[in-house]
Amino acid sequence: MNKIIFFAHLRDRVGEESVTKDAGGKTIAELKQLLSEEYALKLDSVMAALNEEFASDDEVIKDGDTVAFIPPVSGG
Amino acid sequence: MSERYSRQTLFPPIGNEGQGKISSKQVLVVGAGALGSGNAEVMIRAGVGKLTIIDRDYVEASNLQRQQLYTESDVAEKLPKAAAAEKRLKQINSDVEIHSVIGDATPEKLEELIEGADLILDSTDNFETRMAINDISQKYEIPWIYGACVGSFGMSLTIIPGRTPCLNCLLKKIPIQGMTCDTGGIIAPAVQMVIAHQAAEALKILAEDWDAVRTAMVSFDLWQNQYSSMKVSKAKDEGCLSCGEKRTYPYLQTENMMKSTILCGRDTVQIRPPKEREIEFGELAQQLKSLGYQVKGNPYLLSVDMGEQRLVIFKDGRALIHGTKDLMQAKSIYQRLMG
Repeated sequence: MNKIIFFAHLRDRVGEESVTKDAGGKTIAELKQLLSEEYALKLDSVMAALNEEFASDDEVIKDGDTVAFIPPVSGG
Repeated sequence: MSERYSRQTLFPPIGNEGQGKISSKQVLVVGAGALGSGNAEVMIRAGVGKLTIIDRDYVEASNLQRQQLYTESDVAEKLPKAAAAEKRLKQINSDVEIHSVIGDATPEKLEELIEGADLILDSTDNFETRMAINDISQKYEIPWIYGACVGSFGMSLTIIPGRTPCLNCLLKKIPIQGMTCDTGGIIAPAVQMVIAHQAAEALKILAEDWDAVRTAMVSFDLWQNQYSSMKVSKAKDEGCLSCGEKRTYPYLQTENMMKSTILCGRDTVQIRPPKEREIEFGELAQQLKSLGYQVKGNPYLLSVDMGEQRLVIFKDGRALIHGTKDLMQAKSIYQRLMG
């Protein structure tokens, strides 16, 4: 299983700080697609961290990995 | 070193040697809103040699909750933020050379302001400008520090050409802006936290303590008690058009036309003419008054009350049209009044 953590407005949209999913074997892009449908999120320009390290869309998630979605924000 | 900086020189990683370096450096702060106010104040108090600050906006009442350099009298006078910031920063430290610029941080303007700079502190509110900063940073090999916040959330990343990935490696394209602009406002502590991260990194870079520079992107949510640190070294993209081998600096290419931008969460459109022009305020004010509009002004700007919309015109021909998010409507108002 995998812990998926959401930041900023993504957390508000999902309604929880994190969810648990079985994402082992999926790529980041595939997980984004799945979460987009389930929670009506826009994730295409959101950064993903795999075990606290930047992960590109084609990176494969292993069982037990923690994935965090961090939206780049623009306010200042 | 004078008594003024004693508490900073007593801090071992800086010391007298570090202070000497800090005092010989030039910092460019892009934006004089919440982040720009705070970042500029830390740099000025720390005793940098020279600080340049650029901003296109003027001070409004809704800024006072978090933009620490400004006062009610700046609001009453509708002072441009760059001018109000310079006034206040000079009161804080008269030894620092301060250069303020009222205008848009276009790629051309950034190319001009980068000369002599040792560091760029991002304090903007949009990714269009950040991507231009990112390209300028790579082109001239000057480090920059990304910082941004919304609500109780904030983030920062230090970008050093040749050492770290750049913002274009991480984002690949300009992110959709709408998802953060109009959501949930902003609380001052989130601003302060981003400033703390940016300014600490700035001091390390200015004191040339390169080993201490943070190589991860930090993000936090002060209300939800979330903190994260994401290592980014793997994000380095050899094919990146901003920092890769076949770089083209895509965000420095500008189309030669009037530019209009919807300002973040402000119900305001900015119109920028293709070329800077010098507006003669006296004459323009007379014309507008004769059309029946209420016109107020100061040496930096004219404010024209048009009922549902309000037009604010700056000396260089740039205008903010408040009360609309419609680019076409804003352009037509501008062209109707400014020709």
